[in-house]
Amino acid sequence: MNKITYTPRVITAAVILILGFIIAAVPKNTTTPFKLTPNQILNELKNGNQYLEPDMIAQMIVEKNPSLQLIDVRPQSEFEKFSLPGAINIPIDNILSPEYTDILHQDVMTNVFYANGTTHANEAWMLVRQLGYLNNYVLRGGLNYWAETIMNPQHPANTSPDDELARYDFRMGASQALGGGALTTSAPADAPSASLPKPKPQGKKKKVAGGCS
Amino acid sequence: MGPLVVNEIISENTNLLLAFFIGIGFGFVLEQAGFSSSRKLAGMFYGYDTVVLKVFFTGAITAMLGLLFFSLFGWVDLNLVYVNETYLTSAILGGVIMGVGFIAGGFCPGTSFCGAAIGKLDAWMFIGGLFIGVFIFAEGFPLWEDLYMANFMGYPRISEFFGLTEGITALFVILAAVAMFWVGEWAEKKFPREEY
Repeated sequence: MNKITYTPRVITAAVILILGFIIAAVPKNTTTPFKLTPNQILNELKNGNQYLEPDMIAQMIVEKNPSLQLIDVRPQSEFEKFSLPGAINIPIDNILSPEYTDILHQDVMTNVFYANGTTHANEAWMLVRQLGYLNNYVLRGGLNYWAETIMNPQHPANTSPDDELARYDFRMGASQALGGGALTTSAPADAPSASLPKPKPQGKKKKVAGGCS
Repeated sequence: MGPLVVNEIISENTNLLLAFFIGIGFGFVLEQAGFSSSRKLAGMFYGYDTVVLKVFFTGAITAMLGLLFFSLFGWVDLNLVYVNETYLTSAILGGVIMGVGFIAGGFCPGTSFCGAAIGKLDAWMFIGGLFIGVFIFAEGFPLWEDLYMANFMGYPRISEFFGLTEGITALFVILAAVAMFWVGEWAEKKFPREEY
């Protein structure tokens, strides 16, 4: 065997080999920039998968569900006048600001955007959806619909199906718990909520992959 | 972030400008490595000079490692990088024709322009032949269209084809390259030529 001399080509070969071993050992990068095609966005908007019902949100608020994070995308002045319990304020203009990335890009909380209507909340949702963030949703109907359904629920006709009456009872209860206007009701505050949609398990719960995890 | 054009960070025209400068750099490296001499390429086949193999494989490995590390750091999205379509029959036939052309002409298309740029007559002859070949291929296309389009395999990557990760594939390519470099150096000692 010849004695190895450290000529440039030997050094180059060694460096390339080392880099090769490194690239073979590291896992493939999965944080590649995420982009939906316009068609995918349109489909998701059409299906309305991003909406969560006010009843479900109200229930989560009453239960003080720790995974709920309400995000008010209206301007700060409006947020200070009125906001849902536990909500934080991220005005739509600041939604891309780096200080909010930790809130919007996570897989533990269920983020729910809301504004007066759904336009601004949907704008916020489309932005974070395009960034590939998960677990972000929109309150269906916004605050206007919230006021209509949760704060001032209308009594359904007496001939309505049972679950509508039950929903009304729940809304009255939630309304009281959340400080709504209709306090003159005789409905019990702990109205049954059997007909309510259970909060969906959100986000990618880490699956148990094998014995060691 | 990358690819810059796909993500609309730079325009199509800026891309062409960058390609222009990279092309000049490519030509410079070819000339600087001595590729404008047809004996250099022919030497590859007789074993007395394997610098062609070394330069091109080093270039390929550098680009491969660069892309993989850029992808690892999130600087480039490899899914958006264009991959040539593969027609297996044409690839094999084309490889054979190109190889014969290498030995017979002493140039590859790139190096022939390098040689032409410094006024080598054989390089000019080679370019003339290149255009004759292009003309025959284009005019006779209906004759070999079926052969040309045979065995279409889509846009395969070696890693996907063998079901390996990209990193492992890269390592194998590097190992193969280093082994070839070593064989090449050995061949240069085994079949030396004094002057060429």
